[in-house]
Amino acid sequence: MSLAAEAFVSQIAAAEPWPENAALFQPLKDDQVLLSDCASSLAVQAYLRMCNLPVQVCCRANAEHMSPSGKVPFIHVGNQVVSELGPIVQFTKAKVVGCVSGQGLSNGPLSCKRHLQHCAEGSAVFLQGHSLSDGLDDVQRAEMKAYMELVNNMLLTAELYIQWCDEATAAQITRPRYSSPYPWPLNHILAYQKQWEVRRKMSAIGWAGKSLEQVYEDVSQCCQALSQRLGTQQYFFNKQPTELDALVFGHLFTILTTQLTSDELSDKIKSYSNLLSFCRRIEHNYFQEHERPGLDPLSIRPSLM
Amino acid sequence: MGTVHARSLDPLPMHGPDLGLHPDDAELVEAEPETKQEVLENKDVIVQRVHIDGLGRTKEDLLGYEIADVFMAKNLIDVMKKSHEAREKLLRLGIFRKVEVVIDTAEGEDALPNGLDVTFEVTELRRLTGSYNTMVGNNEGSMVLGVKLPNIFGRAEKLTFQFSYGTKETSYGLSFFKPQLGHFDRNICVNLYKVTGQFPWSSLRETDRGIATEFNFPIWKTNHTLKWEGVWRELGCLARTASFAVREESGHSLKSSLSHAMVIDTRNSAILPRRGALFRINQELAGYTGGDASFLKEDFEIQLNRRLFWDSVLSASLWGGMILPVGDKPASIADRSYINKVNVINGESDIYLEQFAVTGDYLGGEAYWAGGLHLYTPLPFRPGRGGFGDLFRTHFFLNAGNLCNLNYGEGPRAHLQKLAEYIRWSYGAGIVLRLGNIARLELNYCIPMGVQIGDRICDGVQFGAGIRFL
Amino acid sequence: MLLGKHVINTMAAPLELYCWKGGWGLPSVNIESLTVLAYAKFAGAPLKIHKIANPWRSPTGSLPALKTHGEGSLSQPNKIIIHLRKQKYNADYDLSAKEGADSLAFISLLEEKLLPALIYTLWVDPKNYVDVTRRWYGENVPFPLNFFLPSRMQGQQLERLRLVRGNSRLEPGEELEKELYRDALECMNLLSQRLASQKFFFGDSPSSLDAYVFGHLALLLKVKLPNGKLQQHLKSIDNLSQFCSDILTLYFPNDGRETPGSKISTQPHSNDFDNEPNKRRNQVLSVLVALGAMLSYALLTGILSIQQVHPQGALGSSKGHGAGTHDEDEEEEVE
Repeated sequence: MSLAAEAFVSQIAAAEPWPENAALFQPLKDDQVLLSDCASSLAVQAYLRMCNLPVQVCCRANAEHMSPSGKVPFIHVGNQVVSELGPIVQFTKAKVVGCVSGQGLSNGPLSCKRHLQHCAEGSAVFLQGHSLSDGLDDVQRAEMKAYMELVNNMLLTAELYIQWCDEATAAQITRPRYSSPYPWPLNHILAYQKQWEVRRKMSAIGWAGKSLEQVYEDVSQCCQALSQRLGTQQYFFNKQPTELDALVFGHLFTILTTQLTSDELSDKIKSYSNLLSFCRRIEHNYFQEHERPGLDPLSIRPSLM
Repeated sequence: MGTVHARSLDPLPMHGPDLGLHPDDAELVEAEPETKQEVLENKDVIVQRVHIDGLGRTKEDLLGYEIADVFMAKNLIDVMKKSHEAREKLLRLGIFRKVEVVIDTAEGEDALPNGLDVTFEVTELRRLTGSYNTMVGNNEGSMVLGVKLPNIFGRAEKLTFQFSYGTKETSYGLSFFKPQLGHFDRNICVNLYKVTGQFPWSSLRETDRGIATEFNFPIWKTNHTLKWEGVWRELGCLARTASFAVREESGHSLKSSLSHAMVIDTRNSAILPRRGALFRINQELAGYTGGDASFLKEDFEIQLNRRLFWDSVLSASLWGGMILPVGDKPASIADRSYINKVNVINGESDIYLEQFAVTGDYLGGEAYWAGGLHLYTPLPFRPGRGGFGDLFRTHFFLNAGNLCNLNYGEGPRAHLQKLAEYIRWSYGAGIVLRLGNIARLELNYCIPMGVQIGDRICDGVQFGAGIRFL
Repeated sequence: MLLGKHVINTMAAPLELYCWKGGWGLPSVNIESLTVLAYAKFAGAPLKIHKIANPWRSPTGSLPALKTHGEGSLSQPNKIIIHLRKQKYNADYDLSAKEGADSLAFISLLEEKLLPALIYTLWVDPKNYVDVTRRWYGENVPFPLNFFLPSRMQGQQLERLRLVRGNSRLEPGEELEKELYRDALECMNLLSQRLASQKFFFGDSPSSLDAYVFGHLALLLKVKLPNGKLQQHLKSIDNLSQFCSDILTLYFPNDGRETPGSKISTQPHSNDFDNEPNKRRNQVLSVLVALGAMLSYALLTGILSIQQVHPQGALGSSKGHGAGTHDEDEEEEVE
């Protein structure tokens, strides 16, 4: 009822064409960004590329604090700010690429508005929203959402655990990187504050008692499930990529290309060859082929961290 | 109705000496010498002894400096005057609740015929005093708990702790104050604090945690303050709808600044003065002692008061200031808007000092000026004269001001022109209530003029409270 | 003390499971306990079940908890289930590898999307918490734990919600409720779509995923909440509510009538007050404790003072004491 009404309103608000100055915000790429944030950011970038929505990547030291949900990445489109992959997917669904009508494709905001009016008057105009998962049936969509939560629930949590709860990684990599933009003594305060917060979260969800081995075991289990689901298909749901593919790619690719204190995490993934070729496929299809000026293919694959 | 912006993000008003009595009220008690058969008025006298009765933990060496002048007195009038001054000094230390002076002829074996004994009967403040009160303002209620240890080590040192627990935010402050022996005006004060504030007009939430050390000293007729302050500032958006310009400013920053302030104050009272002038100039340099905020900030304040017919007072004031970012990073909103965090309620605080981002959040300006002309008169027909009614004044005011940003790259002339163009101004009348010696309440009817696009206008009847006023 | 018992007991002795006791027509009132109980039933694990309302009596200090032979006690449902699986009580035996992967994914979906909303509706929503959750725990948790345990549990749940959402300033309110419920509603729809017209999620026999779904949804289905947006949505999804009631009637046939549903909110308070055997005792005890606290406060602050009267005039030495103890300096002055 009210939810539906609200969704309708936000749809109207979002039903403007994708602006050219759309920007994605993430922490500083070279010195600051952490494995988990980089993975989430890459997932969103992959998703937007799959949708063919151009976005400029902006690195800000305070990206985490700028985000409305406190999580990176977030996109700034028009006057709206949306963070995290799930809401961004919802948001792009409502966005209009262009209005396809009898006169042909038009892209400008004005003409689009006119077309919307046409639409209201009942003429033959249809609006195309960006959705990668439209071709799926109900059960497939349910499975897609479930697997996305599997990645969030296990891979993302494992990344956070390794970053902040494994003392060697926290001391050598995570804390120095996280606090790099800040002057002394604020850097130490903020790093320990963040670590304390993540550790409390881990204990709230019952991960505090886990050992590093158990976490690797969980990652392995998760990868096994993903590998099982993917099988020999090109993408998780046949030939068409979905947001699940973007999310899995973001995490796996980042783990594979990131140097940590030990290689155990990436080794877990490397033992699943179909996942590896899946990552290569997406990298090849979306980050190398469709090159546009200003979007450096290497920009997404430095050895982060 | 207008809004109440009673609290700005200044630290809790707790530092500095707490002057127990204000000079204005001090004309009350004159120690009357006991009438003696002999008339001593014009005779030379010698003060032989000065007693201080009622001392507990106060060290005597501290008081020696304060009462030394009494021995210099040569005749009775002089003795009375000096004793009175000594009494004022003692009260100013903020460690005595009561000081009474008794002057008597000297007694004892070595008593001279014209010898006098002066006795100060003092009552010390308790070792620990606590306070509790509740405050309402800025759409927030809070409970303030205070603990004060006056005279903690016996030499007028003071330790204060305040804790405010609000419905939205908590704040606390711990301050230690130590004056130099015999020079109460020369003192050191250390503050530790956490202050949180919400600024709905900027969609901004600010949390400051800081430490400040200040050194106050007088030179000739001026008072100087040297201060180092280190603050960890955390800015955040109040709502999801905050404009992107404000969003970009959120996050953590560290300011370490050195500042110097000079004040010449000849007014008879800080609130509703009747005569005298105030000149204050303040400069702050941030960034050279660490931290990631670097700027140079200059502020000044001038106020002139003149007594006219029928107890009415004409008061004119002018404020101005600017902030210059050092380096390539622009000044943070926390520093910029601070310039305008002055509490100007007379109708136009809501008008002239506002500059908005596209979606309507206040971003602060880099240079500003404000001027005001006030005529204070007693209440019509003067009800409650000599008592409660004297706390009230009616006033008529005319205020003007403007602000601008400095990054136009056009040179100072262009900036001055910018500040002179499109002046926002307002006039009106209202009633002022004086609250002790620290604050005042106003109820005004205000008509704003020269309003600029993007200004938030609050015309009509307004209500305000504050500590600093134009 | 328990160790000795373990040594004597052979492996044949059943494992002991401690879980929250039942209410509202359910075998347990706690999501994790329900999940574990359902799994144990599905797998046919012979457990000795202790249904208690005092987490302090559990070997781990929290509920549910499984006391194992030799591996200590486990408290997290997935650890318990893994342990049971290792003991050859495996409800997922028939699942293919892909189905196993799907189970994992849907369990994650439940934990990420549905659980936060459940926590909100049971523990954070003020009306539900006061009228239902706190009331149940207040009445069932033994004295004196019932005075502070419910509010402590609420604090923990709110903290958990804050940490999971990654927002320390999270305030219970409409906006949060809307966000959480949107996720939860979507999650329920997805589950319903996945279940379709099947009896269980993977065919005709229940698996661990069924246990998890049942654990999360049964509570929502059975409790009568004053603020029941989430509940209404679940009730409108036929296959899911049917799924839950089927499991209840098939696997927990006794629990439905043990505690009639009428007990919850339809009767006036005084009635179930009398139903509780311990209530009278608790009432007397609480009055005594309150009196004791008041008295000791009075004594400590000096409102009341006990004067020692020496029976034989003890040389007047105690005379000065009464007056001299009033130390001005230490007293607090309230301005």
